[in-house]
Amino acid sequence: MTTIDAGPAVKGRARTLTPLWLLLPAAAVLLPLFVYPIYQLGLLSVLDFRQAQVSGGQPTRFIGLDNYTDLMSAPRFWSVLWATVLFAAALVLVTLAVGAALAVLLTKVSRWAAYTLSLAAMAAWAAPAMTGSTVWMFLFDTNLGLVNRVLGWEGHNWTYERLDAFALVGAVVVWHSFPFVMVTLYAGIKALPEQVLEAAQLDGANPWQSFWRVTVPMLRPIIAIVVIQSIIWDFKIFTQIYVMTNGGGIAGQNLTLNVYAYQQAFASSEYGLGSAIGVVMMLILLAVTLVYLRLLRRSGEPL
Amino acid sequence: MKKRIAGVAVAAALLTGCAPSTNAPATSGTDEKTGTLRVWLFDEPNRTPKEAVIKAAVEEFQAAHQGVTVDVQYIAVETRAERFKGAFNDPASAPDVVEFGNTDLAEYVNAGGLADIGADLDGWAEGADLAADLRASATVDGTAYGLPWWVGVRALHYRTDVFTELGLTPPATLAELTATAKTIRQRKPDLFGVAVGGKYTFGALPFVWANGGDITALNSAQSRAGVTAYTDLLKDDNCPPQQCADLTGGKTVELFAGGKAGMAILGNFNRAAVEAGTVKGKYAVVPLPGVTAGSIAPAFAGGNNLGVMKNTPRRTLAADFLKLLGSKNYQLKMFDAMGNLPTLTSARTELAAKDATLKPFLDTIAAGTKFVPVDPGWGAIDSQAVIPTMLQNVATGRSTVDAATDEAAAAVSAALKK
Amino acid sequence: MIRRLVPNTIALIVALVVAFPIYWMVLSALKPAGEIQSASPVPWTLAPSLESFQRVLQVNGFGRYFMNSLIVALAVVVLSGLVAFLAAVALTRFRFRFRTTLLVLFLIAQMVPIEALTIPLFFLVRDLGALNTLFSLILVHFAFTLPLAVWMLRGFVAAIPDEIEEAAQLDGASRWQILWRILFPLVAPGLAATGVFSFITAWNDFLFARTFIISATENQTLPMALLVFFKPDENDWGGIMAASVLMTVPVLIFFLFVQRRLVSGLAGAVKD
Repeated sequence: MTTIDAGPAVKGRARTLTPLWLLLPAAAVLLPLFVYPIYQLGLLSVLDFRQAQVSGGQPTRFIGLDNYTDLMSAPRFWSVLWATVLFAAALVLVTLAVGAALAVLLTKVSRWAAYTLSLAAMAAWAAPAMTGSTVWMFLFDTNLGLVNRVLGWEGHNWTYERLDAFALVGAVVVWHSFPFVMVTLYAGIKALPEQVLEAAQLDGANPWQSFWRVTVPMLRPIIAIVVIQSIIWDFKIFTQIYVMTNGGGIAGQNLTLNVYAYQQAFASSEYGLGSAIGVVMMLILLAVTLVYLRLLRRSGEPL
Repeated sequence: MKKRIAGVAVAAALLTGCAPSTNAPATSGTDEKTGTLRVWLFDEPNRTPKEAVIKAAVEEFQAAHQGVTVDVQYIAVETRAERFKGAFNDPASAPDVVEFGNTDLAEYVNAGGLADIGADLDGWAEGADLAADLRASATVDGTAYGLPWWVGVRALHYRTDVFTELGLTPPATLAELTATAKTIRQRKPDLFGVAVGGKYTFGALPFVWANGGDITALNSAQSRAGVTAYTDLLKDDNCPPQQCADLTGGKTVELFAGGKAGMAILGNFNRAAVEAGTVKGKYAVVPLPGVTAGSIAPAFAGGNNLGVMKNTPRRTLAADFLKLLGSKNYQLKMFDAMGNLPTLTSARTELAAKDATLKPFLDTIAAGTKFVPVDPGWGAIDSQAVIPTMLQNVATGRSTVDAATDEAAAAVSAALKK
Repeated sequence: MIRRLVPNTIALIVALVVAFPIYWMVLSALKPAGEIQSASPVPWTLAPSLESFQRVLQVNGFGRYFMNSLIVALAVVVLSGLVAFLAAVALTRFRFRFRTTLLVLFLIAQMVPIEALTIPLFFLVRDLGALNTLFSLILVHFAFTLPLAVWMLRGFVAAIPDEIEEAAQLDGASRWQILWRILFPLVAPGLAATGVFSFITAWNDFLFARTFIISATENQTLPMALLVFFKPDENDWGGIMAASVLMTVPVLIFFLFVQRRLVSGLAGAVKD
């Protein structure tokens, strides 16, 4: 950070235009609309808060951790939790693998080919989750879908088996999110000084070795951002699941925490319970990302 | 220790003080005579004829009321819970007039969402024509919250051409129904024997009731016999789970109407959809048989009410529109359009005398109908998809009948206790 | 050239696969009704028709929903861009206590699953009396896009050499003038890149639109309207695809417009 050093110019400036004033608008928005709702989420999760409390004028009751114990004792919650974690982990891995492989591929192809691929990826990136979901649903439709027609599998239901359904939704998510990884990593690779890679080559490293031993370590900060963003995005999948599996699939087999919380709160009026799920989700996400940041720091990367 | 408890209590009191307000903000007590009247009606398979009737009603209403626009929104039945909760939570954003299922009445009243329309019904010329037992069905603790708009029961629809070709007769028992369905599927593999669905609660319940079971005892031997009988139909030799496990009642309507099933359990209110399909003129209807020959399986006494939302700023307009839709004129039009059975006695006798297609449905009603538990907890059972989950778990082989019914019974009793 | 034959071919195949769903979407929107249901679908059409678009726009009122989505997204882009710019200047041009803490908070804020906040926000917006309005959507997305926008803009502000400001100061420019006349135009490319992310968040949102817009049909946004399009009986795929095209086009245009900045924006957020 080059401009941070408090030179005389900076100090002089501070007297009239303080950072406080500059941060004030952001604080005015974030405190009531971000910080306060987080506090309320935690609060609701320890209250008995159902329809009678919301609109019937009944007093709210503090019930401690009852919502959480209710949750922990429900087998459905555990199955949804595991499904969410595994699904998100698989999505992150696949997205990173596809994105990284294609980023490397981009460095090896002619200009026109790189341009074509980038353009296609941009289109997938830009497609809103809602339209992406509908298009893929159309392609994989049981009776009218192109995929079943081409394969001659008319009547095959892609959302019948739990894994099939997750795989289909996962494909859409990866299709949406790999371009970000690809484009970012590609930019990172291009910015690497060429001498380093050449030196590695002179040392007799094959492309595979030089990728893992030279490119990856040098790209670590960018990879960090890409990984964190992917975790954040993939853990919170809502639209695709909600739309493609019709709100959680057959017998709720494709529920993720997000959709589960939403249904508990807004369909079953269990606002307290839904908030407890939200808190659990937030804690997991924070834990994962903080552990990851920790590891990065330990390996000597500045935040 | 005591200190700690006191500390927790104080902290709790402080905390709850900051909870979201428990009284939904009320709209001003005004009664505006102009503006937009928002109406929520249910979306249905083949909605077009319903829309046409409603459009006529809206035009008539707008012509009679200067400066009023009626905005009709069609709500998907499956996600209605979320929509209605939203409306109860914020009366200012709620619609003015709603159509709602009779099963939801207890929950909606409990949530304090509906207005008392007793006085409106009393002062309404056609109100006296409303059957007393029907009016009672929309009344909770002496307060009328809805105008019963139509009633519906389901009966067995079958393809006359297929039955003639295969030399079949309409089944006289539920066991015969299963056998007949399998024969059809075997002889004509591109047809489902009887179209059933894992999400078709009111198609499955008659099987449970006919066997002597009930919703409040889903894991009793009788209920299990019914669940087994129904889920046996969700097999490759009748309706393969790949295609049928996720079907709603509405989808079975489509399948039968589109000529893809030999039989189906459909309601009188599905008539328009079936008549619009390729099976027009090639089907007949009989009551769904019970366990013993000659008996009729108890049907679910379905039906929808029209209600006024509690905090509507256009109370008079809302009640007027409700009375217009509920009038004999429009009840008859809705019967012609959709097959909805009127709730006004005079309209019903008129129709029964001249329309022979109503007989199997009226016979089913006469044989005795059943209803879901009248309890606000039913809303939770319904929105948590307890019964569909049970059926789907069995149909897909993820769970045994015993395990699935135990799980469902536990969920039902938990919901009813709250 | 021969050496590149294999990678080129792979790249081309991948590009085709990736672009195919988009192509199929546009194609299906243009196909006449009969061809969509056809038993042997072909990847082209000889009789393109705008019939599906007409139906979607005129009968189903998608024009209105399109404008609603656009209003929300643009308002969010402008508001969050401006506020984030000020915060980014504070965080890069000044040294003060808790600066690092604030930075970490802005990072952590991005990890909060905003979907989980639907429940408290619903009650908050309700108590404000803002449910059912577009304003409610602008409000929440304004807040949710802010942390990432600040984080990204920080890199762009930091990249502007101090000397430029110092020169302006010598010329007698006030702090206010320096902020808006000097820094702001220089950061504009970064604002565009940041704007894309804000735009997408607001434009794509389905959850909040579904929860907040209770009965006001006239205030529905595109994703919600698209869902309503899935009728319980036969899905009108031609119409659904036409609506999807309408929903994708603005984002695509925005993307192509600022695609170069996007990468440098993210890289800037990483490197500084």
